[in-house]
Amino acid sequence: MTNQPPNTDTMPAQTDTLLRYRPWRGTPHGPLFATLAMARVSLRLLLRRRLMWGLFALGLLVFFFFFYAQYLMVWIETQLRTETVRFAGVPVTIDNLTRFLKRLALDGSVHTFGNFIWFQGYVLVIALALAGSVLVGNDFYYGSLPFYLAKPIGRWHYILGKCLAIGGLMTLLVTFPAILLWIEAGLLYDWKSYYFDNFDLLVGIVGYSLVLLVTLSLLVVATAVWLRRTVPLVLVWMGVFVYPQLLSTLLVDGLNFPDEWRLIDLWNNLYLCGLWCLQADPATIRPPGQPEFWQAGLVVAGVCAASLLYLRRRVQAVEIVT
Amino acid sequence: MTSLIELTAVTRTFGAFVALADITLSLPPGRIGLLGPNGAGKSTLLKLLMGLLTPTSGTGRVLDEQLGGDRDSAGNWRLRRLIGFMPEADALVPGLTGVEYVSLAGELYGLPRREAQRRAHEVLSYLELEEARYRRVEEYSAGMKQRVKLAQAVVHDPPVLLLDEPTSGLDPAGRDAMLRLIKALAIDHGKSVLLSTHLLADVEAVCERVVILAGGRVRGQGTVRELCARRQNRYRIRVQGELDRFRQELTAAGATVLSDDGHGEWRLAVPSGWANLTFFQLAHTTGALIRALIPDDETLEELFLRTVGV
Repeated sequence: MTNQPPNTDTMPAQTDTLLRYRPWRGTPHGPLFATLAMARVSLRLLLRRRLMWGLFALGLLVFFFFFYAQYLMVWIETQLRTETVRFAGVPVTIDNLTRFLKRLALDGSVHTFGNFIWFQGYVLVIALALAGSVLVGNDFYYGSLPFYLAKPIGRWHYILGKCLAIGGLMTLLVTFPAILLWIEAGLLYDWKSYYFDNFDLLVGIVGYSLVLLVTLSLLVVATAVWLRRTVPLVLVWMGVFVYPQLLSTLLVDGLNFPDEWRLIDLWNNLYLCGLWCLQADPATIRPPGQPEFWQAGLVVAGVCAASLLYLRRRVQAVEIVT
Repeated sequence: MTSLIELTAVTRTFGAFVALADITLSLPPGRIGLLGPNGAGKSTLLKLLMGLLTPTSGTGRVLDEQLGGDRDSAGNWRLRRLIGFMPEADALVPGLTGVEYVSLAGELYGLPRREAQRRAHEVLSYLELEEARYRRVEEYSAGMKQRVKLAQAVVHDPPVLLLDEPTSGLDPAGRDAMLRLIKALAIDHGKSVLLSTHLLADVEAVCERVVILAGGRVRGQGTVRELCARRQNRYRIRVQGELDRFRQELTAAGATVLSDDGHGEWRLAVPSGWANLTFFQLAHTTGALIRALIPDDETLEELFLRTVGV
């Protein structure tokens, strides 16, 4: 090997190489690959917002609360079972100490994950209400849709790409932390028997997440296509998730209306569908007096179908060449 | 040689409205201008060529891909892969940098991710956006926005470019630069360009052929040279003396008076091969005195308007 310098006379200058327009003769990927690219870029756009990181921090707080509370429960029950703890000189029994934590069922059971996803869902719903305009609304508002639809993909690929981005956000906020809680629960108890006996819980967590993914992503895309901007989107999401919950609680728990009135609360319906995935015993669901699983499933399916129909109509109407 | 576009009796209707009527075209690869006033059917034709609309009747193809079928069919995806489309609307994705935007376009066209990123850098450098490629697209000037739109159309190296009003909103310098880039892409890199525009000067600067649409029909097609040859030779003439006799003689000789201000100043169209000396001979024989004779040839715009019957 020689150490002679290269003959630069025969080499193209660096700028020449950079400025050259090269032909491309590769084999192109199909449209499903394009949906992944769209999802990745959409997720990147979301994560550039500081607000999203704030919501992630909030989601992390909820996760860490469940994570350490689950550990604390086991520690209290194994280390302090027969003792009385004194708080400010006042003796407190272990039962009293763990009463609040027991309401959250922090024992690696069906309701641990049901409750975690229920509470984490609040953060998720806020994140999605704010994400709608970034993910989809802007495409309509700024006329970016022709950029996507003039490419060799179909309209459903566009919707799928956006739903996958929402799926990614949901996985980061809900599914992945819930799976970590399941792993933690196994490590806190006899891990071999826990993992084998409760494998269906892991499947249930994934199922619950899928129900949330399909319903919420379609709802986000449909409402964002309709309203486009953040403030009206947040107002509508409050109308869908906050007020019906207050109303149904008032009607069923306060005024003794039939249990079916809880069906107006979409978040509760999603919770019931999730508990069905986790194979929960209906008698153990709180608050008591819930509609049947199938009824909740029917409402959720109706919301999905309505969103799909609306999306089909709106995306079809987009003019690519104006 | 394979035709770029072959359309046979293509008609497209929307209910009772006929957007395109019995369009038959055979265009070779090259630089083609698509001209027409608003509502002429240009947008409908572009949609048909991109497989976004199906012809109501008739057949057609772009290169080897047949037109027709559902817009989301595999055949139309193949068709759209052959085409780089630059929309008239901004169509930018706010929040993305120039290189991310073009790279995303590459991936949507099916390029592998790494190749899309590499080509995005190359194409942006080629289109003189090297310095601005890490800036967000919404911060770009009008000229930069047009160039980044062109970049996303050529990132996958398509054989055909459909450019919808590519110089819209540009200042004269930006317009010249854009037209130079389009011409360079066509001449240096073998792209066929279909340029849809209202600006006849853009067509004259870039295109070899032109198709004129009006009322959903093809009103004229041919090379730009042929179209220019159909320009009328026109003169502005100021005369004194025997105006009526001079006018009669001019008309008898084949000239047409297009306008008359009533004070002896006329605008005339003369047949091809007309010699200026004829004016003076006729003036001499009729006793008129020519005070001014100024060539005033028909512009391409006037020719276009005359062709479409406006």
